[in-house]
Amino acid sequence: MNISAKELAHWLDGSRKVAVVDVRRDDQRERWPLAGIDTVEADLEKLSPDDLKTTTILVCQFGIITQRWIEVEDLDEVYNLIGGAQAWNAYKADRRDLSRYSRQMVLPEIGEEGQRKLLDSLVTIVGVGGLGCPAAQYLSAAGVGKLNLIDGDVVDITNLQRQPLFRSDRIGDPKSDVAAEALSGLNPDCVVESIHTFISEENCQKLLAGSDVVLDATDTITARRLMDEYCCWKSIPLIYGGLYKFEGQVSVFHLNGGPSYADVFPESVTGGGTCSDDGVPGMLPGIIGSIQALEAIKVILGITPNLSGKLLLYNGLNHTMDQIELNV
Amino acid sequence: MTIQVTVRCFSHVREALGKDVLNLELEDDTDTSTVENKIREITGEDLNGVEVKVAVNRKYAQKPVMLKDGDEVALIPPVQGG
Repeated sequence: MNISAKELAHWLDGSRKVAVVDVRRDDQRERWPLAGIDTVEADLEKLSPDDLKTTTILVCQFGIITQRWIEVEDLDEVYNLIGGAQAWNAYKADRRDLSRYSRQMVLPEIGEEGQRKLLDSLVTIVGVGGLGCPAAQYLSAAGVGKLNLIDGDVVDITNLQRQPLFRSDRIGDPKSDVAAEALSGLNPDCVVESIHTFISEENCQKLLAGSDVVLDATDTITARRLMDEYCCWKSIPLIYGGLYKFEGQVSVFHLNGGPSYADVFPESVTGGGTCSDDGVPGMLPGIIGSIQALEAIKVILGITPNLSGKLLLYNGLNHTMDQIELNV
Repeated sequence: MTIQVTVRCFSHVREALGKDVLNLELEDDTDTSTVENKIREITGEDLNGVEVKVAVNRKYAQKPVMLKDGDEVALIPPVQGG
């Protein structure tokens, strides 16, 4: 069984009799001591289930090794601390339970510091359709602190095949409202604001101001150019995504003076039709929107390499991915 | 003297041409604009009004680039679906 750092804190505060066994290596115990908790030290390789006489919480660094051990031994009264010592110490620092992020905090590129950075970040998603739905879902789940969802459209029955935040009973309701409601139950750490309007020259500045990252999930080049110009002016990274039938494109623009959309496609006023005009399998925006979300957190956390200065071309028919170097 | 180049086609270009890859034999003093014009010639009016960007050996080419034997030319239009 598993318990979160918050639950363990309640058990200890409520004087429940538990033994907390720290099975980490000596160097880990020394470097990251478990804050405010009396522990027994043990070596998991030498530990026998018979040694555990009372309710026991096993703690390793990230809560992965101990979870496996408990599953293999099939024990009832032994609990794994989700996220391990990392999640416990994060909780003790500010009473914020980061257990839900343990599987990404275990990555050295993210860690506790990166997670806190995500929780303090603002991502604005322009367009809550095929690309915006999966991007919003993953960014909310990843613990981006604030998501602004901008879309002036309403849910249509033909959206449901590829925009899985929407259900049949919400047809006719504003997309940004329905998405914000759906996401509110996904992660309470993420505040989602619905902005039911289309981006325009008049409101662009107001809507995008203060964003750490803007995610372009629109389906018009006119809207894309507005975002591109504003993000260029304010040096806000813009995560571009576009679709055509079975193909998708992704890039990161304006990162540390990197290329813009206008550098790559200076002339176009149209890129063919929209997904409604040309057709698209629902999974394609799922893939491209997820790549955009991944690039968004990499940009926020400064993880490299990323798609700045590159144009990613994905083909869903033969599953090729090409990267074009944008030496512009 | 002639050179062989591989043309890789994306989105609207792929669709207009009906294939992902086309091998072309060209005069050895050819640049990328010739490749683009040739593809437009083959595809007829299907690509009228479509902006096509060019990359040579996976590097974006802002201006026409002289080609050499074995080069790969990618033709990439903007896409707008979302």
